[in-house]
Amino acid sequence: MGELQIPPYGEEFEACRVKECSVIKYQATVTYIGPLVSEFLDSGIVVLFGEDAPEELRDFAIIHDGHELIESIIPGDCVQIRGETYRINAVGEVANSNLANLGHLVLKFNGANEVEMPGDVCVEARQLPEIQVGDTLIIHAGDRQEEKE
Amino acid sequence: MSENKYRKVRIKRGPKGWGGPLIIEPKPGRDLIYSVTGGGIHPVAQRIAELTGGRPFDGFKSKAAFEEIAVAVIDCGGTARIGVYPMKKVPTVDIYPTSPSGPLFRFITEKVFVSGVRPEDIELIEE
Repeated sequence: MGELQIPPYGEEFEACRVKECSVIKYQATVTYIGPLVSEFLDSGIVVLFGEDAPEELRDFAIIHDGHELIESIIPGDCVQIRGETYRINAVGEVANSNLANLGHLVLKFNGANEVEMPGDVCVEARQLPEIQVGDTLIIHAGDRQEEKE
Repeated sequence: MSENKYRKVRIKRGPKGWGGPLIIEPKPGRDLIYSVTGGGIHPVAQRIAELTGGRPFDGFKSKAAFEEIAVAVIDCGGTARIGVYPMKKVPTVDIYPTSPSGPLFRFITEKVFVSGVRPEDIELIEE
């Protein structure tokens, strides 16, 4: 629908491949990056928490201001960070409640089609974006099917 | 008060769980039953608090100093919280039946971590 409320992301947003027909399921802006985030990044893991996370978790996490999971995440959806889009391959059984309740998301950039742990969300194994404060994170319904021409 | 108002519990692993058993006894100044779970104080944390006399505490609602935590109760899906509290040497109870995993797995030992815990896996130690 043309009525989607999309904040102004400027040219960076235009450059990404989100189509207007994609349903946005979760949307957040990065507000803080913990000093120990690299402990996880080095293993291809991005740990996100909402702003209520206690100090000891903030140290290891990327903190964001998202607070509403509009629709459950399923394989085939996409995560978009810094204009890069990654397909979601697998979603652990507690990943959606973690995200809805705590803004907590564990993204594993490993290309796996099955989760290793119940909190995991596995995405494509590609170079991780260098996430910075102010970056936008969007999870939207997949539209790969329609993209095929 | 002349006698200790706190009591000791044994927390054993639940079905398919790992680690433990943990013996938890709150002490003055270190008596928080620290629930770092979605949706408020978890029933497992509530039960530990009731049996020990420790104070139930929601880690997502209020802030506490680390030294005040007697035990952390988490609903971790296996990557982050599972390692953060054991790394800080805080006894950690995961309600999910996880095993050591994630980048901090080396800190997760059976002396400091137990998983798959249900309220009925917590028992008072009579002295």
